[in-house]
Amino acid sequence: MTAPARTQEGSSRMPIWKAVLLTLPVVPFASSHLMDELTSGEAQLITIIPTLLVWILLTVFFFLMLVTGKTYRYRSALFILVAFALPVYLIPQFFEAFGTNMLTEEMTLSARAKFCPLTMPTVLLPAILKRVVVFPGFVVEGALWFFLWLGASLAVGRGWCSWGCFYGGGDEFFSRLRKKPVIKHVDRKWRFLPFAILLAIVLLSAVTFHPIYCEWLCPFKVVSEFEAPTILRTQVSLGIFVSLFIGLVITLPLLTKKRIQCALFCPFGAMQSFFNKINIFEVRIDPAKCTQCKRCIRECPTFSLDEGSLESGKALMSCTKCGQCVDACPQGAISYHIKGTPIGISPNVARVLFLYPAYILLSVLGGHIVAYGLWRVLKLITTGSMI
Amino acid sequence: MAKLKSVLGYSVAVLSIPIMIAAVLIWTVLPQVGIQFVSATGLKHSANWSGGEVVRTINHGTYETRVHRMVFDALIGERSEGFVQVAWSPLDALPARIDEEIDADGDGQADFRVEVDTANKASMLTPYTPWVLGLEGTYRLEVVVLEGTTYRLDDTLAVRVRLKNPSR
Repeated sequence: MTAPARTQEGSSRMPIWKAVLLTLPVVPFASSHLMDELTSGEAQLITIIPTLLVWILLTVFFFLMLVTGKTYRYRSALFILVAFALPVYLIPQFFEAFGTNMLTEEMTLSARAKFCPLTMPTVLLPAILKRVVVFPGFVVEGALWFFLWLGASLAVGRGWCSWGCFYGGGDEFFSRLRKKPVIKHVDRKWRFLPFAILLAIVLLSAVTFHPIYCEWLCPFKVVSEFEAPTILRTQVSLGIFVSLFIGLVITLPLLTKKRIQCALFCPFGAMQSFFNKINIFEVRIDPAKCTQCKRCIRECPTFSLDEGSLESGKALMSCTKCGQCVDACPQGAISYHIKGTPIGISPNVARVLFLYPAYILLSVLGGHIVAYGLWRVLKLITTGSMI
Repeated sequence: MAKLKSVLGYSVAVLSIPIMIAAVLIWTVLPQVGIQFVSATGLKHSANWSGGEVVRTINHGTYETRVHRMVFDALIGERSEGFVQVAWSPLDALPARIDEEIDADGDGQADFRVEVDTANKASMLTPYTPWVLGLEGTYRLEVVVLEGTTYRLDDTLAVRVRLKNPSR
């Protein structure tokens, strides 16, 4: 007896006309960079081409998500593209402004570091208790990130980690390179490590008034900016950044086929897990359809499903709503779900309602990075310099 | 009850779309919201970066000296060691050499003397009190300062002097 295909009962596929109609609301967000460019008064072919390409890509991919009923492959392709575009987008900005992406002490004291969402766990407590920002970036920029992070966290919970994070595509890429994992078993106790790191950096940052994660533990400093290794402390921290990047973003994802940095290290991700508790969207397993084949457990890139999940019908709080299990389940037993609504009734409605905020986040944040990254590449090709 | 939960669930799910749109609009085209938020909440940089509030300004005609408060900030109480930042801003131009006695704690007595070679960013410190520990560094700072809802670029030459907390 063969398993019923996902495209039969409970199908996520959609007629083309319906997919076209449902894609229309996403178009303005996918094209926002193009609009910015055209209305800037300084539009040139070299800037219009990448923004136009990104607009087409984002629109077509959303349409394909709807028409095929598959989420993961299109999201993942865009997510990885964003991560690879990030250093091309970011590092030339530093060279343009300062001639280097290595922050000197003077640049730090002049608050010239770039805020990123990963700073949130370190800055929140001192900001609330003492109204001081313990990060050497421009405070208004930090406030804008705060609003984006808060809105996204309320709208999609830890979905941020698979739809908004511009770093996560790095380990996702390496986790997808091999067909089979070399390391097949990872002790699930490691899932608690990000929560321990979260607690440690929140407390240490509040006590020291320094962004401990950014100064010591962020692997993605390697693809953005870092303190110039002029003294022992910054030399050691650079060594840590490089080691963590090679270990957590490249090697371990390659060997385990899991997003190790995101699942077992990132404290920001751990913080986002708590937002999953209040977020309306979740991933649910329909026990009536589930045959306990455990494929979803094997496929989940963030260790967010276990045997207990199959019994309870719920993904763990660390679920990033990436869509991998939803697409992989041969029974169509897993779906996006809206809390409070009956399981298995209108999973397509829940999926589309989740995809809108998630894709708006991906389009605006990731689209911006890809468009400007492409522009830098075109600039390099046409002028011989990215700057 | 189940129907009510269902209606509420769908309502909140639909609401998540405008929430996300509002968040991305603020991030992309409404920086004024961020400025207003920072002004309203009084959020500011940690003194570790900003040097703390300026407590005294001395006008020298072509330039001014700004003495920041002594920084021993901690989440609870004060640290046993900290620093004081002294900055010189050109009103016209900075002199080639600055030689100034600084009263860090505001008791009317100079606590240290600092000599600065402004062209080479080199400084020399002479402590007058035992709680002045030494020179931390000399820096050329270009800080974007938010004043109310407008920006100003603050270009200064600054030194940081390490201090032992005199009250501990």
